[in-house]
Amino acid sequence: MANTHTKKFRIWFILFCLLFVVAIVCGISMGASSLSITRIVPTILGQGSFKEEFVLFSVRLPRVIILALGGLALAAAGTIFQSVTRNDLADPGVIGVNAGAGVGVTVFYLFANTNLQQYVFMLPAAAFLGALLTVSCIYLFSFEKGQGVQPFKLVLVGVGFATALSGLMVLLMSTAERADVQFISKWLVGNIWGTDWPYLWALLPWFILCLPLLFYKVNVLNILAMKESTAIGLGVNLNKERILLLFLAVALAGSAVAVTGAISFIGLMAPHIAKKLIGPRHQYFLPIALLIGATLLVIADTIGRILLTSATIPAGLIVAFIGAPYFIFLLIRNK
Amino acid sequence: MRLQVEDIRVGYDEQTIVHDISMAIPDGKITTIIGANGCGKSTLLKAITRIINHESGQVVLDGKNIRKMKTKELATQLAILPQSPESAQGLLVEELVSYGRFPYQKGFGNLSAKDKEMIDWALEVTGTKDFRHKAVDALSGGQRQRVWIAMALAQETDIIFLDEPTTYLDMAHQLEVLELLHMLNVQEGRTIVMVLHDLNQAARFSDYILALSHGHLIRAGEPEEVITTEVLKEVFNIDAVIGKDPRTNKPMCLTYDLIKGE
Repeated sequence: MANTHTKKFRIWFILFCLLFVVAIVCGISMGASSLSITRIVPTILGQGSFKEEFVLFSVRLPRVIILALGGLALAAAGTIFQSVTRNDLADPGVIGVNAGAGVGVTVFYLFANTNLQQYVFMLPAAAFLGALLTVSCIYLFSFEKGQGVQPFKLVLVGVGFATALSGLMVLLMSTAERADVQFISKWLVGNIWGTDWPYLWALLPWFILCLPLLFYKVNVLNILAMKESTAIGLGVNLNKERILLLFLAVALAGSAVAVTGAISFIGLMAPHIAKKLIGPRHQYFLPIALLIGATLLVIADTIGRILLTSATIPAGLIVAFIGAPYFIFLLIRNK
Repeated sequence: MRLQVEDIRVGYDEQTIVHDISMAIPDGKITTIIGANGCGKSTLLKAITRIINHESGQVVLDGKNIRKMKTKELATQLAILPQSPESAQGLLVEELVSYGRFPYQKGFGNLSAKDKEMIDWALEVTGTKDFRHKAVDALSGGQRQRVWIAMALAQETDIIFLDEPTTYLDMAHQLEVLELLHMLNVQEGRTIVMVLHDLNQAARFSDYILALSHGHLIRAGEPEEVITTEVLKEVFNIDAVIGKDPRTNKPMCLTYDLIKGE
């Protein structure tokens, strides 16, 4: 069925793939020690100088890949949250996943700070557990007997939990050592800190498990985004699928946030822009949303690195700078 | 009869909306539920189609309690068109209709040849083929309703439930929808169960009518048995004059007054 959405999808998909490649190339070559664009391919082929090889393989490449994966995961989680709660304002940050993951990471960090390198594989797990605990609580609190989970209530309770957990973070920080506090506060503003290969290896299994399952569920997501009565009529087992998909979203966002720091708004913006471009069928807008999420985070980080010569501005701040007005725009338009 | 409702009781919180209703839905017929606002007719429809839970009793399809059946399997047996369907959020007509194939799909949701055939047929029969590439929300109310019916048809079920399918439509479009359902019933042998507000439409298009009042089943039978002065008095608290439709020969409420006092 070649309709307008199919055609648009092909065009946008190619366009966003190109944009993504451009973002990756910029992300690799720009920054404090620059690596000229023309030198990237030779360096990959092993013809670069020692410095070029170091910058590419040890500094930029892992960072850019982690950013891309992080942005992709946040966009995926945002898509799931928005479709399952049938609310365009849902986002892993808004709904309390970031806060939950933050508490997980903080507790883990405070216990293991001296040997962090050794435990790096457990970091996504710690964040996941924190986020899962939070989302489970949110789910239970928005559960109404006989009616299941009320999606709108889920968002409201989520916002409440996010605030409460931020308070808990402050409490944890006030009891911690100075160096630890610095790390945690950097994490909170979304300072990409896990920029070495081990962090990438720690992240990868989560993606290998979650992403195929997510694509397997696109059809269910389509139906879940409809009114409840329609979804039941079409034969979706609401509670089972909702729990499974929320679990997926928490695993993706939680593990990503563990490495990238608390980044909001990507999960909000990416699916929303994609939906506006090619309609609400997940087969089409999910791949685009993932590309947008990855591109956005890579670009935000690159901007953060080149804006000031003396320091790096956290990518989370740059994203928030674009995302917050977008969020307000959405709020006004949704009235 | 394939679909039986046995002593079903439905309530919200402490309040009972449907009181122990038992009935059988005749196969291959059009059945209409009528009743005053708040009498529980929509609630009954939702309970039969598992959209809301019932407190006691059971709904039996082919000898099996539908609560024990897998919801996806049940979706291949009965389709539901909810009251005043939602916004399609930018979906195209053929995309929305393709959602009707969900119960037959696995995984990524590529459409099989059979899926495509059913979608084409549903578009054709509902007269929505010409705007299959348009956005659902850009259509008129009557067109949109036919698209939603097409989605239910794509589900390829023998039984179709519709909750007030004519609400918000003008007279011509109301008739268009009812004629479509009539045609599906006669030509395709589909069993149709719906809630209607208009008594004369119910009388004209139904083989079987269920009259509800305050959550109780007052009368069930052919239009001639249900659309009577006596039943309408009990169900709607009106004093109605019943005649015959000069064209269809079906019973018809010619005029009515409210019954004052007791």
